Amino acid sequence: MEFQSCVNIKKEWDIVGARQLGRDVARKIGFGTVDQARIATAISELARNIYLYAGTGKICFEALDDMNQKGISIVAVDDGPGIEELSQVMEDGFSTSGGLGAGLPGVKRLMDEFDIHSDLGQGTEIKVVKWLR
Amino acid sequence: MNLSIDVSNKEKVTTVSLAGEVDAFTAPKLKDTLLPLTKEDGQTIEVDLQEVNYMDSTGLGVFISALKSTKEHDTNLKLVHMQDRVHRLFKITGLTEIMDIDNTVRGGM
Amino acid sequence: MSTLKLDLENYKELMKQYIETKDEQALYQAEQFSKYSMQQNISPEEIINVHIQSLQELYPEMPEHIQSSLDFLLETMISYGLAYQEYQSLREKQLELKSEISVAANMQKTLLATDKPAIDGLEIGAISIPAKQMNGDYFHFVKDDNGALGIAIADVVGKGVPAALCMSMIKYSMDSFPENRMDPGVILGSLNRVVERNVDSSMFITMFYGLYNTNNHTFRYSSAGHEPGYYYNSEQNHFEEIDASGLVLGVSSEATYEQCTKKIEVGDMIIMLTDGVTECRQGDRFIEEEEVLEIIQQYAHLPAQETVEQVYKHFERLQDFHLRDDFTLIILKRRV
Repeated sequence: MEFQSCVNIKKEWDIVGARQLGRDVARKIGFGTVDQARIATAISELARNIYLYAGTGKICFEALDDMNQKGISIVAVDDGPGIEELSQVMEDGFSTSGGLGAGLPGVKRLMDEFDIHSDLGQGTEIKVVKWLR
Repeated sequence: MNLSIDVSNKEKVTTVSLAGEVDAFTAPKLKDTLLPLTKEDGQTIEVDLQEVNYMDSTGLGVFISALKSTKEHDTNLKLVHMQDRVHRLFKITGLTEIMDIDNTVRGGM
Repeated sequence: MSTLKLDLENYKELMKQYIETKDEQALYQAEQFSKYSMQQNISPEEIINVHIQSLQELYPEMPEHIQSSLDFLLETMISYGLAYQEYQSLREKQLELKSEISVAANMQKTLLATDKPAIDGLEIGAISIPAKQMNGDYFHFVKDDNGALGIAIADVVGKGVPAALCMSMIKYSMDSFPENRMDPGVILGSLNRVVERNVDSSMFITMFYGLYNTNNHTFRYSSAGHEPGYYYNSEQNHFEEIDASGLVLGVSSEATYEQCTKKIEVGDMIIMLTDGVTECRQGDRFIEEEEVLEIIQQYAHLPAQETVEQVYKHFERLQDFHLRDDFTLIILKRRV
């Protein structure tokens, strides 16, 4: 059971679409209510970052089925301005969107794996994974 | 206490009117206003301190860096209407000797 | 996961007990449960999930709209959980920083330590208390081959770590000066050039430097914009300000420092201080110069070290044990 599906992020409404699709994928994999809510929140955060800072981008979901583990992988890609100080945005208490968002450290906490690549002027790619326990 | 900063410009003279306390909390705000002004060619910056009843050494530091900046950019800094308590600080630190200070309080005393 | 399972059972039992009895004891145990959950880093959404599951087990026929509303609640708690985790991690970082600063403060104490020299016929009292962990005030004693005592007292603009770093620089510049006797004006002149070259444009240092000649009991001094000290004339029972004018260190490399000399008689005192003493506040009111002198006089009959300690205690109490600025006071008293 392996498939990939993507949502383009252009307007704020697309954030909801991404959450919905992500939650559906998570439910099919077998995640419980709490983890579904966490995954949806992480997606919100990633999608909102694209909407606010890059303008457009996409979020792709993939169900993972290793030999002994199932999980969901989420990749957020944009070709926006990129992030200059990665270590700074990954720091707790640092947020450019007014301090109320969970920020990338929040996304990292909600998921099991977190990986980010960003080049100035070329965009950002964030990949997160959550495993089913 | 807070510090209110009011900037008005008339030809080559920019007047910065301050009211309140210039201390470690308010000094950064004053520095952000004052320093860019000292870099504008040919300007005279007149700082009106009539409503400033307290200044600490951090506040003094702002005026020192503004003075240094006027020397680099060929502008002028003038402090006017300084209250006695604040004037004492400028006098002790020897700054009255190197700064343009007019401490007559407006309206006469 | 077995511990969480256990908690679910526990929670379900407690809730059942409460629903049936409305018992305060069950509520008390709920409080314990929430504290325990925090210790175990269990987030609010997990507690809500435990609540939902307990309800489902106790009331299998629970209406669907109640179930949905609880799912809705769970979703809204996610961000609170994240904020709580962030708070926890910031708290840990703060503790880390705090302990780092206290290590630095101890290093500073060692670096800036100065021995109070023993000199026949001259009593020395000195106290320096930082408002925060690190001290932006500094004093230093040097005794030279000819029996003269050099005293430096200084104050860096600002407080805390930046001020302390700056002070260490001053200390090392002073250590690098030649050991033989130097005039206060020359010392301030050289320090001024060091500070002017090395320090941020809005940073400056005030310093008073005095040289007490134990052979003829004269006190030679210069000031770089430092809070004026006092000379106490015991014969006339009268304080006078030690006036010396000079620009603070670090503003202009051309600054020069005038030197004055004072003859010190038996029983006379020299009082050196920083603005942490003169700018003490009682509520919103600044204390007056006369008050400082009155308090000093009140304790002047004690040995000099006790005098400075008592004066400090007085102003500490006056300010509700909360210093706003670093406080440094030095008293020299000629005994014979």
